[in-house]
Amino acid sequence: MNRSVSLPSAKPAAQAAKRPLPIVKTLVFTLFGILLVTQLYPLLWLLIYSLKTNEEILSGSFFALPKAVQWVNYKSAFGGGKYWDYLTNSLLVTTITMVCVIVLASLAAFAITRFRWKYSQYVMLLFLLGMMIPLQATLLPIMVMFSHLDILNTRLSLILPYIAFQTPIAVFIMSGFMKTIPTEIEESAIIDGAGVLRIFRSIVLPVSVPPIMTVCILTFINIWNEYVLAATFISKESLKTLPFGVNSFVSQFSVNYGAIGAFLVLGALPVILIYFLLAEKITKGMVAGAVKG
Amino acid sequence: MKPVDNLKGVNELTNGKKVLGVVTAAGLLAASLSACGSSDNNNNKNASGSEPASSAPASSAAASQSSGEKVTITFQNIYPDSSDPKYQMLHKIVSDYETAHPNVHIELDSLNTDQQKLKLKTQAASKEVPDITIVNPKAQMQPFVDADLFAPLNDMVQQNGLADTFQTGILDPYTFNGNLYALPDGNNIAILYYNKELFQQAGIANPPSTFEELIADVKTLKAKGITPLAIGEKDSWTGSFLFMNILLRTYGPGFLQDVTDGKTTFEDPAFLEAVQAFEDLVKAGAFQDGATSFDYNAGENLFKTGKSAMYFMGSWATGGIETSDVSKDANVGVFKFPTVNGKGDPNQYMLAPGSAFAVSKNSKHLTETLDFLNYFMLNYPKELFGLKGAVGLAQKVEGDFKAAGYSDMSITVMDLFTSVNGGDLSFDNTMNPATSQVHLSSIQNLFVKPDTDPSAVAKEHQQAYEDNKQ
Amino acid sequence: MKVLKVSNWTIAAFVLPCLIIYIGLVFVPIGVSAYTSLFQWNGIVPLGMAKYIGFDNYHRMFTGDSVFWPAVRRTFLLAGFSMLIQLPLALLVAILIGRYTRKANFLVSSYFLPVILSVVVIGQLWKTIYNPASQGGMINQILDKVGLHSWTHNWLTDPKVAIYAVIVVGLWQYLGYHLLIQFTGIQNIPADIYEAAKIDGADGFKADRYITLPMIVPIFKISFVLSFIGSLQSFDLIMVMTGGGPAHATDVVAMHMYNMSFLSQKYGYGSAVGTFLVAMCLIVTVLINFIFNRLEKRYS
Repeated sequence: MNRSVSLPSAKPAAQAAKRPLPIVKTLVFTLFGILLVTQLYPLLWLLIYSLKTNEEILSGSFFALPKAVQWVNYKSAFGGGKYWDYLTNSLLVTTITMVCVIVLASLAAFAITRFRWKYSQYVMLLFLLGMMIPLQATLLPIMVMFSHLDILNTRLSLILPYIAFQTPIAVFIMSGFMKTIPTEIEESAIIDGAGVLRIFRSIVLPVSVPPIMTVCILTFINIWNEYVLAATFISKESLKTLPFGVNSFVSQFSVNYGAIGAFLVLGALPVILIYFLLAEKITKGMVAGAVKG
Repeated sequence: MKPVDNLKGVNELTNGKKVLGVVTAAGLLAASLSACGSSDNNNNKNASGSEPASSAPASSAAASQSSGEKVTITFQNIYPDSSDPKYQMLHKIVSDYETAHPNVHIELDSLNTDQQKLKLKTQAASKEVPDITIVNPKAQMQPFVDADLFAPLNDMVQQNGLADTFQTGILDPYTFNGNLYALPDGNNIAILYYNKELFQQAGIANPPSTFEELIADVKTLKAKGITPLAIGEKDSWTGSFLFMNILLRTYGPGFLQDVTDGKTTFEDPAFLEAVQAFEDLVKAGAFQDGATSFDYNAGENLFKTGKSAMYFMGSWATGGIETSDVSKDANVGVFKFPTVNGKGDPNQYMLAPGSAFAVSKNSKHLTETLDFLNYFMLNYPKELFGLKGAVGLAQKVEGDFKAAGYSDMSITVMDLFTSVNGGDLSFDNTMNPATSQVHLSSIQNLFVKPDTDPSAVAKEHQQAYEDNKQ
Repeated sequence: MKVLKVSNWTIAAFVLPCLIIYIGLVFVPIGVSAYTSLFQWNGIVPLGMAKYIGFDNYHRMFTGDSVFWPAVRRTFLLAGFSMLIQLPLALLVAILIGRYTRKANFLVSSYFLPVILSVVVIGQLWKTIYNPASQGGMINQILDKVGLHSWTHNWLTDPKVAIYAVIVVGLWQYLGYHLLIQFTGIQNIPADIYEAAKIDGADGFKADRYITLPMIVPIFKISFVLSFIGSLQSFDLIMVMTGGGPAHATDVVAMHMYNMSFLSQKYGYGSAVGTFLVAMCLIVTVLINFIFNRLEKRYS
């Protein structure tokens, strides 16, 4: 599976090279180009926007570059917005959630796909159902529950529901992958006298890196940007996360468009950086599990 | 950064007697302005610059101070905008208090209005109301009071003479069955601000005093390529506030109360007339393009950046407009909402008792919280005065506004308070939330479909009212 | 065939930690929410003080709520556009990228970028793009420049157009997501199948018709389900961009649930809408699965 995902050596490309169709090819690359512009230009625009003065933004010359680059916008974004606090909190909450989701979901997926037991299909179905449930519908009941447990206004109050809502897709992807692992592996391991936990830890987990990456990415994207729970369950300034920060920054700096743009850039930056560092792994891992689902 | 909260309203206020209360209050306010400085304990000018709180009436903090136990008070508030005088006031008072009470920590949960409303509702359902929170008067805080979530402030408000700092009658909208549950941050009226320079450009000499003149001016401005009237109608209360002012002219005060009392219905000719007038205003091109996608701040910014000629809002906007570029060289003036078809009294205003501070009944540190809130409210007007944010407070302000550097516009606004001859409250303060939502959406619809038959609008209102009355 | 026979305790140790958190924080709340939908409750007083009204909330929702059915219709509109435009386009581009490029990674990663941005950023960004020309809106300014002034619109405030303007943003943001899924799916089709087909004379688009399309059906199904559920639950984006306005013109079911629960303070009623939404998600997923299973059988 890994082998066949390797992107740069895409086979159909080789076919095309033999029979060049200039017109078709031009059309196709025009399409690629148009999509590239529409998908990326708004981000470039945001960057430019964040470096303009208010007057330049409001004057409506949309395509113009700023006359003088307004780093001061970033200064106010850093100053007033408590950016680093929000960033740290987001990183912390997202990382813990990610680790927990991977551990819990891979254990469950392993049991569902590799153990012989009666109810495995029902448990799987249960997890699949969860993918369809909108988070907003559970807001108030969870709040009441957490209030009884006395964990509101802690990081736990975010991490727990995040884990719960990320598990279904994680179990789905992990089990999709684990199903494809040949059973001979276990058979030989059993002959070697390896216990279940060891099979899981030293055999199944290591080969499951691609779907784990996928789960990491999906979890990261969803949790990093989550806003509704974060705004409702957390009151302590010191625990607030980045999307909340972005949104309150937008209302705080209602008049200072450039600073808002700067904060939006800063809000998007960590995720873009991580994305570009990992882009290849992401594109490879993205569907590693789902493909065989 | 101004809240839906400021539009709040009150059934009783719409009855003659209580309205008088507010009028008197406004009068008192004016009196205290002109007779500056005759104060009992404190001086006034730049209270903000002065050193810590020691000079302020000392609060009865003995309890918390002596015990020395670490206490954290959560203060949910709607002042997240660091350029807003209220933000600076809040942080100043909190840090003063913490200095004087080293064992007390005030945790500020600063949210914008929508966030705060949603959060408080979810918190209420789980009985997790923060020690201090923000509510709106009358109909909007009723469910919270019914759920018994707030501590009565009757005793606390008597301490250190806090009760006397409030204008007469202003606490009534926050009082239920003889118990006071919240202390308001303001007391406002709705007015129109206008940009003198843009009026001049369009060749308009005086601000309009009748609705017909207003429409004519709108057309003149529009022809010159100037946006006549800015509004932030994505936050649909803004349009409702304006509409209710028209209704106040065509019907007089107390329309919603009369509906509730069964004396009239939404199909009243005065209501139809108000809808028609509002539609005329939209059709004349009064509002900026895409008005319904502008939130409150974005709408106000059009005026603050000199892009629109007029702006209709509660007097709480005065501080922000005063400190913006547009009001340089006394460029901004204010005027009363005009008469409509010759009807109505321009001295009747949309009244907006402010959003208010309430204390959770289940607070773990009730004594300390009450003590802090007492201290906070005592210092509130003083600090705001120094920060030029003292227009439209619910408390009496002592001090010479002119000498403190307030603009002519601010002083004109305060003069308007003296002219108040009754008025009415915003829709969502008077009616239950479900009916209010239908109303808000119905008015928002007029911005995009100004040809809607007024009687259909009336029917929609009446239907919603009947569906949702308890 | 599964080979591991383990004790019930082992199974429990592997499955329960995950299952408990999941059931406790997903299913229990949904159950609670379904229960509260039977009450006339404002969400503030204790539920004990609320009035039990049976299925009245549902009755009113289906028969007496002028906002509800249009919101359902718009929700399906969103899903429909995603399925009819976004997914086929993603598939087409995925095939073309595989066929014509060597730097597939760069293109796929770039197209994917909007997916990772927060809705707050995306919403604010597009709001500015849709603004009237006088306020710096990009689209209207472009239209003006190329002489198509009559095409300019108040994209987000014209009730006839606003919902489509929002849909475009949704399509834009998630195009890369589906593209990536399909692209990887195509790359995973074993090369020897194409080789064999080539010998039989099936090449280029013909190979796509007879090999790629049938082989991609299972992956297309995943895209389908994800896009449908995403559409049904769409909320944040609309919240940021239009708030459901003007006058409900962009309300979808999830938005209606939110408005009813929190703005109109009819929490019981909002719960009924929420329960309906969950039920709809389940039914549609079952339907999609059924249809695709038939398709897969036909092709295999």
